[in-house]
Amino acid sequence: MTAANLTAPAQRWHLRRRSDVPGWLSALVRLAAVLLAIVLVGVVLALGGLDPLALGAKALRQTLGTAYGLEQAALLATPLIMTGLAVAVGMKMRLWNIGVEGQLYFGALAATAVALNVKGPAPVMLAVVFLAGAAGGMLWMLVPALMRAYWSVNEIITTLLLNFVAVLLVGYFVIGPWRDRAAAILSASPRLPYLIPVIGQTYMNYGVLVPIAAAIVLALAIQNTRWGYEVRIIGGNRRVAEFAGIPVLRRILAVMLLSGALAGMAGMLQVTGSAQRLSGTISNGYGFMGIIVAALANASPLAVVPVGFLLAVLLNAGIVLQTQGLSVNAMLAINGVILIFAAIGEVAAGYRLVRGDPEAAVGPAEQPLRSERDDGTVGSDGLGVNRTS
Amino acid sequence: MNSIVISGIITAAVASGAVLVLAALGELLAERSGVQNLGLEGVMAMGAVTALLTERLFPDPYAGLLAAIAVGLTLGIVFATATVVIRANQVLCGLGLAFLGTGLSARLGISVSGWPAPATFPTFRIPFLADLPLVGQAIFNQSILVYLAYFILPPVVTFVLYSTRHGMQVRAVGENPGAADVCGISVSGFRFAYTCLGAVFAAVAGAYITLAYTPSWIEGITGGRGWIAIALVIFGAWRPLPVVLGALLFGAVTSVGFVAQVQNWGIPSSFLSMLPYLGTIALMAVPVLTRSKSSRRIGTGPAALGTPYYREGD
Repeated sequence: MTAANLTAPAQRWHLRRRSDVPGWLSALVRLAAVLLAIVLVGVVLALGGLDPLALGAKALRQTLGTAYGLEQAALLATPLIMTGLAVAVGMKMRLWNIGVEGQLYFGALAATAVALNVKGPAPVMLAVVFLAGAAGGMLWMLVPALMRAYWSVNEIITTLLLNFVAVLLVGYFVIGPWRDRAAAILSASPRLPYLIPVIGQTYMNYGVLVPIAAAIVLALAIQNTRWGYEVRIIGGNRRVAEFAGIPVLRRILAVMLLSGALAGMAGMLQVTGSAQRLSGTISNGYGFMGIIVAALANASPLAVVPVGFLLAVLLNAGIVLQTQGLSVNAMLAINGVILIFAAIGEVAAGYRLVRGDPEAAVGPAEQPLRSERDDGTVGSDGLGVNRTS
Repeated sequence: MNSIVISGIITAAVASGAVLVLAALGELLAERSGVQNLGLEGVMAMGAVTALLTERLFPDPYAGLLAAIAVGLTLGIVFATATVVIRANQVLCGLGLAFLGTGLSARLGISVSGWPAPATFPTFRIPFLADLPLVGQAIFNQSILVYLAYFILPPVVTFVLYSTRHGMQVRAVGENPGAADVCGISVSGFRFAYTCLGAVFAAVAGAYITLAYTPSWIEGITGGRGWIAIALVIFGAWRPLPVVLGALLFGAVTSVGFVAQVQNWGIPSSFLSMLPYLGTIALMAVPVLTRSKSSRRIGTGPAALGTPYYREGD
């Protein structure tokens, strides 16, 4: 330390933690994470001898540039928004449902079982099949929810492991008892007798409206009901909620079952919508992409809708570029990168770059944000998912 | 059941359990220092595919193993930089790493999909012990990585964690990083190092799959073993020996499925394949049921697990 340094306080750039992260910055950081991941993919493609700009232009033309592309994106957005909502509702209470993929499959299985075996007028049956899908998703969540609520068993692992079981179960039915022997399709059920009607002259069906309605209902429930208020309190600090007399265990059960139901509905919308039948490929990892949708939307149900659509456009672009070497697996890898970037960006947004004396006293407004781990769960700090957004 | 079947079950249990022991002990070390790496599945898949891709150039199992270790270390550094240095959310980064590793390994592995590994770890027969009835062939006629998993790593990890000053420091960092910091222990340093070590263990587990256990690569060959390894750490209550026992138990459940398939017990193979996953979920309830009723709702594990550490004003 030189004398000059001692006399004049150092005026240099340094990081200081923000007391609160403004919403626009939080959104900007998430958008940057997606863009950065796309740039990274472009670099990899360029290294592989491809022209990323030409490919990107082609993908954009074929997704956003045509009515067909937009309709496809809307169809892809349907399961992504539903799975995003399923993950988001759990995140409100710091619960991680990583088993959305499995609940989606089991919801689809339950919906198919009812559709193939019960006869009735189409509109009534569609409602019944919808409820069957939701019930299937809930049922698939029941064991992890009970174990989490009453025994504090890590729900991340239990929900995830059930994904494998659900996929195997669906595989058993579509290869075995339900295999369609009329059509030349291997390992798929027959076409379901009740399908969601198509909108006019488009490729879309009315199922695309369900996720939007679900998002609005969920946002209202979380924001404007006593139940939603209690859920937010528990997410903020479980111990406070317990002292306030909120039935924490019942709320945990309810939120997890609701999450499973939303995932099950996504499965129902797939088999009665764009897929038209049950098969092992009704979900291209939509359950996993739901985690990214929810994280990018900061667990806000209304934000899930545009984010889900954005990721659907990306996914559609990936499908368009599949012939150029972008596979489903490459998309999965890109999703992983987006998720890591988003998590890093969230931390970065918590800091301000300021010029001044780094040793200067930190005022109360600049106290570090802190995540209290109060309930013995594996920490799920950061991301501001507990803010009353 | 005759003794050949029983011996076969034990052999399969030991072999498939070794994958889990390797990955779970690495995760245990990372979690003891306070970092949960949910990306184990991805790291394991990357280790598995790297080992086989390397063998295309250098057909030597040790070259494959070394390459897997290098990839595990790289992914560990990426994850530790994000979660320990930048202190990003561990759940999201872990899931991101799982997706990245699973997707990337499947993409990279297309060229070697279905190929048998050109060189595998030879089995190393331990004289006399291998002649024991039932368990001899199963335990004492295995590859060197199996011995590493059962006879070298568990005692070493146990000794280091519980009997050395260094191990106490690791646990202190995971239980109360603030107090460890006061004592002059570098919280970030310990967490960074053990997170990387955990990732290396997972990559070695992956290399063991493609170079010894089922010496070939197909997409999804890890089959959720990374996740099961994380579950085993919870099952074993973050202690090495119960984790090893859990891995063996799990291996036995898996191999009962194999035997049922071979012996044609009439259960559809889809249902037999579910056994490991359902078995793991059942295992996760065991530590809860062994606790007293009043403490069941309280989770166990290192107190600071999953929580980034900030000094005041940091």
